[in-house]
Amino acid sequence: MSTDLKIEGVSKNYGSVSALRDIDMSVQRGSFLCLLGPSGCGKTTLLRIIAGFEQATAGRLLLDGTDVSGVPPHKRGFGMVFQSLALFPHMSVAQNIAYGLKLRGIDKARQRDRVEELLNVIELPTIADRPVAALSGGQRQRVAIARALAVQPKLFLLDEPLSALDAKLRENMQIELRQLQRKFGVTTVLVTHDQTEAMMLADQLVIMDHGVVRQSGAPSEVYRAPADAFVADFLGTANVVQGEVTEDGAVAFLGMRAQDKALQLQGSKVEVAIRAENIGVVEKGSPERSTLGRVEFVRDLGPSVESIIAVGEEKLRVRSRASEVTSLSAGQQVGLKIDPELCSFFGR
Amino acid sequence: MFSSLFSVRGGSYSAVIFFLTTLGLLISALPVAVVTLMSFSAAETAAFPPAEFSFRWYEALWSQLSADESSSAHSLGDALFTSLLVAGIVMLVSTFVCVPLAYALVRGGGRVRAGMELLFTLPLVFPLVILGIAFLLIAESLALDLGIWRLVIPHVALVLPFVLRNCMSAMNGIDIEIEEAAISLGASWMRAFLDVVVPLMKPGILAGLIFALIISFNEFTITFFMYTIDVSTLPIWMYSRTVSSLDPAVLSLSVGIILVDVIMILIIDKIIAGRASLF
Repeated sequence: MSTDLKIEGVSKNYGSVSALRDIDMSVQRGSFLCLLGPSGCGKTTLLRIIAGFEQATAGRLLLDGTDVSGVPPHKRGFGMVFQSLALFPHMSVAQNIAYGLKLRGIDKARQRDRVEELLNVIELPTIADRPVAALSGGQRQRVAIARALAVQPKLFLLDEPLSALDAKLRENMQIELRQLQRKFGVTTVLVTHDQTEAMMLADQLVIMDHGVVRQSGAPSEVYRAPADAFVADFLGTANVVQGEVTEDGAVAFLGMRAQDKALQLQGSKVEVAIRAENIGVVEKGSPERSTLGRVEFVRDLGPSVESIIAVGEEKLRVRSRASEVTSLSAGQQVGLKIDPELCSFFGR
Repeated sequence: MFSSLFSVRGGSYSAVIFFLTTLGLLISALPVAVVTLMSFSAAETAAFPPAEFSFRWYEALWSQLSADESSSAHSLGDALFTSLLVAGIVMLVSTFVCVPLAYALVRGGGRVRAGMELLFTLPLVFPLVILGIAFLLIAESLALDLGIWRLVIPHVALVLPFVLRNCMSAMNGIDIEIEEAAISLGASWMRAFLDVVVPLMKPGILAGLIFALIISFNEFTITFFMYTIDVSTLPIWMYSRTVSSLDPAVLSLSVGIILVDVIMILIIDKIIAGRASLF
């Protein structure tokens, strides 16, 4: 039932403004792809092109090898969850979920069965006859998902569906959404600007910026080996600092040197990305230290301690486990332990 | 409710509000009060204030309405029938024009929308007398027997801005994602429009309908230019009964019309309470 999706060379121009440039990607059958990027990066436009609400200026959309670019949105048979959820306010929960089934000419009894089945899946078996206005945020969310899945869509599309929920509920919904998606085995594309959400949900992560794909791959892979400084900075909390290739081929940054890292780099200026959690704070005099810094700001968040530490001109965000740093205070001189193996180097 | 309205801090401030409110109520209610009072007069002629009270003018009105006046070309019954028929057609036509138009203007957006809105509001700012003359000139130059449409067409032009406004404000509240949701579930654009947009526009449509009814039913100025012996409305009939000498039965008729209007306004208020402004 579920299908795989291939996007080939999709571009979108609004007049002379180019919103998407030559996008290629493929989503495997039953897998979960997240389009992640800052607002205005073109991720929503791409989703709307997949849904058929916008036409690509160039390129093709292949569903199981068949070009669907010219198929109108109501004939594509995709299920979509919108940012506003877009439940029909004049219909009950059951009518909302059954709407797609009604349009497919499925008889009343089977509609009822399917609605009941879905309400059980979303664990809200008793709300069928309630008006949509009487539901809580989380309930609406689930009903919107159930409505989209009721029609057994070939493709499940979600446009920032969780952005309206508060943090705790959002986390729960992420887990639920992922479980539902597994259960239905439906090929899914979700758009989000929230990197935690994307990491939580995705089998495949596509990072977009300014209408192009910056990097695509498994979340852990993208996180550990970012393709460029933008990706490193966007995904998680990374510090991007300036470095210089020295004559002997090492990279000098933050008053320290990393050997052999410069071999594949051209030019003498480089950017070094270091994740906040990969910087260790040690005693000023510790032999482990790679460089020295001065604490500018400390905040204990419970599970972690966030600090800003100045090294020369650069200010680093550092995330330490609470057990590792007990007595950090502003103004203090500390040693920093940075493993070059955990840093990413980009030519400029 | 009033005490809470006036319990704003500061004595002179609440006194000013109280004065203005009373003044406003007096001005708007005064004609209604006078007409209602006089319609119960027992006197032969309309004199204010009436010395004695009776239902005689209501009885006179009833006998005029129920009497078979088919011989008379200009009877009350005919005028009432024409008024209702015109109002009915105006309601239908204006709704069928405004629902798709409101959709197109709101979804189309941009400069077109502002221009079109202005265009449709034009009959409101046009002096009604001149508008009447204009419609008369057009109707005469057509050399066609338009029948009831001589009144329907100008009335539609007159109510269109009100109906359009109501439909548009209802339309403004309908997120395009709701339409797209219906489409993504398999509805054609037309189906989504009928299943989702029209039901959600219903409060605006109903409010517009009632506006159309009230405006068309009470319209005098343009109708005065356009009516013929065969096609004439209630306000024209009332005018003909007051122009030489005032027939107090007209006053009892107005009380009836006011009652109907008030009921209509209450219905509008209930329909769109807290949803959108009327204008």
